[in-house]
Amino acid sequence: MNGETLLEVDDLRVSFRTGQGVLPIVEGVSFVVKAGEILSVVGESGSGKSLTALAIMRLITDPNAVITGSVRFRGQDLLGLPEPAMRSLRGGAIAMIFQDPMTALTPAYTVGAQIVEQIMAHRNAGRMAARTRAIDLLGAMGIASPRDIAGRYPHQLSGGMRQRVMIAMALSCDPALLIADEPTTALDVTVQAQILELILRLRGEFGSSVLLITHDMGVVAKVADRVVVMYAGAIAEAGATRALFARPAHPYTIGLLGAIPRLRGPRLVRLPAIPGAPPAPHDRPSGCGFAPRCAAATGICAAHPPLITHDGHAVACFHARAA
Amino acid sequence: MILVMVRRLGEMVFVLVSISVLVFLIFFATPGADPAARLAGRGATPATLAAVRHSFGLDKPLPVQYVLMMKHLFVTQDLTSFVNPGEKVVPAVLQAVPVTLSLVFGAAIIWVIAALVVGVLAAWARDTVLDRLLMLFSLIGVSMPVFWLAEVANLITQARYHDTWLFSWVPALGYVPLSVSVVGWFKSLVIPWTVLAVTYIGLYGRVLRSNLVEAMNEDYIRTARAKGLSERQIILRHALRMSLITLVSMFGLDFGLLAGGGALLIEVVSGLPGVGELTYQALQNLDLPFIMAAVLYGAVFIVVANTVVDMLYAVIDPRAR
Amino acid sequence: MSDAPPLLQVRNLTKHFNVGSRFASGGRQVVQALDDVSFDVFAGETLGLVGESGCGKSTLGRCLLRLYDADGGRILFNGHDITAMTERALRPLRADMQMVFQDPYASLNPRRRIGDLLAEALIAHGQTDAAANRARLAELMGLVGLAPDHLDRFPHEFSGGQRQRIGIARALALNPKLIVADEPVSALDVSIQAQVVNLLADLQERLALTYVFIAHDLSVVRHIADRVAVMYLGTIVEIGATDDVLHEPAHPYTAALISAVPEPDPLAQTARTILQGEPPSPANPPSGCRFHTRCPIAQPRCAGERPNLSADAAGRTVACHFPLTAGGRLP
Repeated sequence: MNGETLLEVDDLRVSFRTGQGVLPIVEGVSFVVKAGEILSVVGESGSGKSLTALAIMRLITDPNAVITGSVRFRGQDLLGLPEPAMRSLRGGAIAMIFQDPMTALTPAYTVGAQIVEQIMAHRNAGRMAARTRAIDLLGAMGIASPRDIAGRYPHQLSGGMRQRVMIAMALSCDPALLIADEPTTALDVTVQAQILELILRLRGEFGSSVLLITHDMGVVAKVADRVVVMYAGAIAEAGATRALFARPAHPYTIGLLGAIPRLRGPRLVRLPAIPGAPPAPHDRPSGCGFAPRCAAATGICAAHPPLITHDGHAVACFHARAA
Repeated sequence: MILVMVRRLGEMVFVLVSISVLVFLIFFATPGADPAARLAGRGATPATLAAVRHSFGLDKPLPVQYVLMMKHLFVTQDLTSFVNPGEKVVPAVLQAVPVTLSLVFGAAIIWVIAALVVGVLAAWARDTVLDRLLMLFSLIGVSMPVFWLAEVANLITQARYHDTWLFSWVPALGYVPLSVSVVGWFKSLVIPWTVLAVTYIGLYGRVLRSNLVEAMNEDYIRTARAKGLSERQIILRHALRMSLITLVSMFGLDFGLLAGGGALLIEVVSGLPGVGELTYQALQNLDLPFIMAAVLYGAVFIVVANTVVDMLYAVIDPRAR
Repeated sequence: MSDAPPLLQVRNLTKHFNVGSRFASGGRQVVQALDDVSFDVFAGETLGLVGESGCGKSTLGRCLLRLYDADGGRILFNGHDITAMTERALRPLRADMQMVFQDPYASLNPRRRIGDLLAEALIAHGQTDAAANRARLAELMGLVGLAPDHLDRFPHEFSGGQRQRIGIARALALNPKLIVADEPVSALDVSIQAQVVNLLADLQERLALTYVFIAHDLSVVRHIADRVAVMYLGTIVEIGATDDVLHEPAHPYTAALISAVPEPDPLAQTARTILQGEPPSPANPPSGCRFHTRCPIAQPRCAGERPNLSADAAGRTVACHFPLTAGGRLP
């Protein structure tokens, strides 16, 4: 955590041209990922968190998508990069893993071959050397018999094992940044614990920064150094994990943390739920996206609240709770 | 594995027995099919008829006749035609088989290669003008009846433009065995190959394109992109590989059907003395021994093709192992 | 609980599934989805069924309502043995036992209005008076927090939380006594999940419902359940009052499961026991105690001898040769 900026996302916007006009999904998201840190982007479905990750990787293939703003990786603007240059970054300096390891691997090839393929796409390595590296990586993921597993097909492996394979593949070319989109959502809780431990351990061993996309505040609390809370396509609140959990300032963050049932501590008679539901992209309010569900909302909330940073803690709310 | 093979063999025997019994019964239930009447000739006396019946074993009960026919077909292999006495069935079929196989193999090679090119190109250029054009041509290809296309080809290459430089090499209709002349064999088949392939190029090209486009939305393709692979690698190594799985089963069925006598129309129109043509003749003459032989040969081919497809499946789709 | 007989008594329930085909490399396999499961559910309580995927909790839920036929054992609902009942004899009881699914959208015909979909259940049980049904449907909508005019809309016009409310309304239509809810909130966002959990709790109070609440999320179960049964590979390893089981687990699997849950509190990260590996295949379960292959305190006895689910000296019902003592901590 030397504070050096690795990735800088500035006013990223993703919208889609539809029959009814342009539909904005991500509406101006800005954050930085520093070298060696784990930054978590957390939000509910429809908040735009996954699309933000895909936009950074330039993996949105829909021809109707419009992406603006800037994404600078080591100072280089990714959005303007020619495709061949972007391709050599993908899977090289920036790697990505996905939610469902069941479907994220090609069923027709052994998992070893799929790792080898990535190494050979980026490194000037022979097949044998790449294979040795793939087996070493699988071993580093805590897989007991990596040589055996490398020869298996995806359908022969359990969900947790497949996610280990995905992580091994992602780390095969020593990425500076690993983007993990809901990496443990499809897994059972005991396996999720294993994978989170693995991500924490690997951050130390491989020195990669991690951009972790999740909906689970428990996962955030466990692994993230800093957290960005998204709601309705915009950042509601961002800050260091401990500070944000200790003193959430945005009414949405406060409500979200309150609505999570806890395993420890007093058992509440009723969960303090947030009324209503997140707005669908086509009927988001013009000002603060959370205003229709917010108890503190007033007339001023019809305007877009600016994201104001104070002591490293950013909040986009006219009625933010004082720290 | 051995168990599976034995099971398959058992299934095949069951299919063949059922089909042969069915053909046999349908034949004897068909009005005007009485072979004795045809053999004895027009205006034969009842006594002659009875004599003919007896000499051909046609006065025995049907189950006995069935067993006898199967014995002559498979064991002694000396089953003869009901229509042209003395013409043996088994050699005639064996003579026709190479013709049909030559036709179908050649056409299959053409249609598989061309369909791969069409499907991959269209999927790669999806939603562009190239894609739409390829799909339009494919649709036209699928829509043209093969016998009509063959007639048109004959008209052009045999008649109207035969004397131009373009088609002067085309031989007269008919088949030249591979053993007689390789070049002659090739020349005699090029036009039928192409004609037969057109429909399947259109069909397979369209199916492959839609499979590929569907595969391109799969999660593993997104992973392949995230790995930094090129679009060419993504389509050829990942999307195509998975799309081929459905295509292989289609191919097995179509190939089995054609090789088993389904290429009847084009064989007749192009004057190729293959199994289809043999079947056609037998049907016209209501010649039971030939019908029986042709139908059983076709059934064997289709069952075998299905088995091969199932085994191929295990090779190309590890999930099916 | 009380002295009244349990609403639901489950005794030695077993259920097998045949998977694979004779052509597959593994051949045909028998999966033991449920193996000798016994428990009671008392009227008015909520029993939580928790466990990881493949533990048999959803199969159990479906067996309770005779959506699957059990292969062995008995299920008594209100004193009636429903395991061997004919479909015809079961029919009047069906109204008393309803199910809420994880994804109600999958079971709602997209081309029919909500009102028609809900009326189906009433009509199927002989209530054909249109005016009375209309009134009943409006009442149901009020119960689950939707407006009566929602009845005229189509399923796609609703959000995930609203669809689950519709699923609950459908389950309530025939005034059931027992509701089996299979992961009813796991597909929902946290802020919506809390609303639905609260709704279920309110309805239980107002309508004197009994719930079997199936979930993989221990925190949700802790919130809603009076008692919890923890399942592993088709068996119940521990059952008891929620606070006992989740605060002082007696079975090492329960303890490991609890310690694996990431709490939304960065300061709460204590030393944790992380289980190695993943649950074995139910087609080939381990000998003896099914958990012994992953258990951090397993002894040689555990591999050979299967522990029965029984009350131990401390009054805890647990299937373990070496149950954890007070504190529920693993070494």
